[in-house]
Amino acid sequence: MITPSPLLLTLTGAGSGLVGALLGLGGGVFLVPLLTLVLGVPIRAAIAASLISVIATASASAVVNLNRGMVNMRLGLVLEVATSLGGLAGGLTSTMLSPRQLFILFGMTLGVMGVLMLVRSKLRNVIADLGVEPGLLGGRLREDDRTYVYRMKNLPVGLFMSLVAGAISGLLGLGGGIIKVPVLNTFCGIPIKVAAATSTFMIGVTAAASAFIYFNRGDVSLPLTAAVAIGAFPGSALGARLATRIHARYLKLFMAIILLLVGAQMAFKAL
Amino acid sequence: MKPSPLERTIEVILTVGLVLSGSLLLLGLILGHPGLQRYGILILMLTPVGRVVVVTVGLINQRDWVFALISLWILGVIASSMFFSHG
Repeated sequence: MITPSPLLLTLTGAGSGLVGALLGLGGGVFLVPLLTLVLGVPIRAAIAASLISVIATASASAVVNLNRGMVNMRLGLVLEVATSLGGLAGGLTSTMLSPRQLFILFGMTLGVMGVLMLVRSKLRNVIADLGVEPGLLGGRLREDDRTYVYRMKNLPVGLFMSLVAGAISGLLGLGGGIIKVPVLNTFCGIPIKVAAATSTFMIGVTAAASAFIYFNRGDVSLPLTAAVAIGAFPGSALGARLATRIHARYLKLFMAIILLLVGAQMAFKAL
Repeated sequence: MKPSPLERTIEVILTVGLVLSGSLLLLGLILGHPGLQRYGILILMLTPVGRVVVVTVGLINQRDWVFALISLWILGVIASSMFFSHG
């Protein structure tokens, strides 16, 4: 195995943490491709390192998002029921897939989510009428000095996709935000910023549900994981603070383009 | 929208976990000490678990039984993952 310099690993962790926190993700979606495609880290070691780093990134973002009152905690808890179970299942079954299958699954996941984001990037989910009740899992959002109301739609879809996101997370070393954010936004009527903030709240739990399995199995390699994870701390702290300055529309477009590019790269690697 | 007291407590537990694990990881890397790195990683993994514990206790305190039960389920799933070492 080629061992890249610790500084390079830390910088990679920092970059992924920054962009991840900026988009309300854990950053694993960038970290795994960077580690495998650019630094030549074997995919299993990259996945384990990513799961750990994702916890740091998501937790740092969650602190900032909670402080802003952007997290819909009830919605997060309900979806965690499914996502934690998925994470557990994904972690347990991850050894059944070959590295080649992991690359293909990674590429496909990113491609599908990228197309979804691109197609739906023009839609707005918020209801401006303040007379509408947000319901048990909906809420209110203040943006540009206006208050919006949103309601949770299609809960079964949200739950099912959270289960899938958890499983993908456990298999590929992601926190699953890359699936949860677009699904909550496009199918469940949750505004993108609330979806992203609530996702950061859930990601730590999703990732931890499979991280313990990787850790106990001895898949977490040192000092690789430590070097990558330590970069995620400052990176995500900065990213989470910059996140509020970006317009929702650009956030969706930026995410879609990155998904499609990275997805194609990962799938190409399997050929 | 102001964070609730429970949300404030979650912020605290997450921050404590991050500071603790970050310090151990940094120290472990500087000293080249794998034990410290391992503990840093372990505490980082335990941070979301701590969060779930805090939420569960908070919801029980608020007598929000339905959501307390939901939180307890999550705690059960994550706790069981700690005992799996093969797959």
